[in-house]
Amino acid sequence: MKKLTYFPGCSAHGTSEEFDSTLKLVLKTLDVELEDIPDWNCCGATSAHVMTENLAYALPMRNLVLAEKLENTTMGIACASCYQRMKVTKVHMDENPELAKRINTTVVEEGTYKGTVDVKSMLQYFYEDIGVETIREKVTKSLAGLKVACYYGCLLTRPKDITKFDSPEYPVSMDQICEALGATATEFDYKTECCGASFSISNTEVVINLSGQVLAMAKESGAHAIVVACPLCQSNLDMRQPDIEKHQGVKYDIPVFYITQLMALAFGYPAGELKFPKHIVPVEGALANIGKILPVPEKVKKPIKAVEAESEDK
Amino acid sequence: MITLGTQGKNTFLDDVNIKSGANVLECYQCGKCVGTCPVSQYMDFPPREIMQMIKLGLRNECYMANSHWFCLTCSACSGRCPREIDIPAVMEAVRHLAINENYVNDSKKVKEIRKFHDIFLDMIKRYGRNYELRMMAEFNIRTRNLFKDMHLAPKALLKGKIPLGVKPLKSAKAIKRMFAIAEKLEKNK
Repeated sequence: MKKLTYFPGCSAHGTSEEFDSTLKLVLKTLDVELEDIPDWNCCGATSAHVMTENLAYALPMRNLVLAEKLENTTMGIACASCYQRMKVTKVHMDENPELAKRINTTVVEEGTYKGTVDVKSMLQYFYEDIGVETIREKVTKSLAGLKVACYYGCLLTRPKDITKFDSPEYPVSMDQICEALGATATEFDYKTECCGASFSISNTEVVINLSGQVLAMAKESGAHAIVVACPLCQSNLDMRQPDIEKHQGVKYDIPVFYITQLMALAFGYPAGELKFPKHIVPVEGALANIGKILPVPEKVKKPIKAVEAESEDK
Repeated sequence: MITLGTQGKNTFLDDVNIKSGANVLECYQCGKCVGTCPVSQYMDFPPREIMQMIKLGLRNECYMANSHWFCLTCSACSGRCPREIDIPAVMEAVRHLAINENYVNDSKKVKEIRKFHDIFLDMIKRYGRNYELRMMAEFNIRTRNLFKDMHLAPKALLKGKIPLGVKPLKSAKAIKRMFAIAEKLEKNK
């Protein structure tokens, strides 16, 4: 059994509770035990780095220091925003020991930062540490017939020097996982466009506009559903969808799943355990496609391959 | 007034470069960042113009622009920048300098964005974590817009999307101390 230090993030107890609970189901099947960071705090998300430099580093550093006290070498993070703040802090601290020492000694009192724990998003953990083939082996109920647009958003693969994962422009890790589950990943050009993020509350019109474009492109790609691995993307695309439809005068009716919900479904967990009633846009229509035989495409689609990493250090 | 020479002290360009770790002089004004930026249409000056304004030393104009408040740090621009400039870091540097030097853009939009961040940080300071419902309620109260998003509330609450409870961290005091020190450090800069 593998062990993994787990950072759920604040929204796991709120808007993205279904991400957290289905993630735990999936990891049970994959034989991974989660170890929570005791008394973790908010990473500061969007706001800390917008307003102040010290807190932007100090808040994640406290979590990193607490994580180092556990034995595991990797910390898996569910929320994409938490992942990025934690990873940015880790990379900047490791590059600049002087800054690390200054923040550590003046603002973080929980212990000495050593930089021994690696930070990964759960998507990255599935892709790199578990592997697509292992995921394929665990599938008991294929999702064949379901066409999905995999939406990564800004934070899971960018900036590439920080995340060092997949492609910043056209990532494929989630597509490959979805195909391993039996689903078909559509060719979707808005994979890494921004959904409007935290402007959801303070500047809703921006989210209506940006998320509206993502929905339109997903629909155009022929997808029955969108798949995400970020709570903020999910809530912007799902909860704001009725507003977007009203604004654009278009009916999308496209549910937004967390990748872990689809994984759990394909691993044989009953739909009743996957928190589908929490979705604002009903999921039944999209899930009804599972098992239907897709029309044979005119052109044979090439299998999705990973784009060669651009960084020179590989 | 445009200041180009150093006259013994840091120019605006120096300040931004030191704070961001980027070199704004590298920018050759291709405009790829503007085409990439998802929010450039909301900005007073899109990223390319901000870069040029920094080179020209237009400190006040940069501080007062809404551009750095609209930047979502999505890093799409820096990924495509042929000069590999960390543009979000530049935007952040301008914003931090403007905050530290008490420049206030009092347009309605910027005020609301700023208020959101203030409330968010306030939540962390008080509880150690963020509680979405409370944050949204406070945002509505503090921006005097009580009914914003109220149409979403019944559905979201019914579906258990947003929990009502607030449970502070065990080490909430440690977080409060962290905030106190950080605030002191920002002031002394």
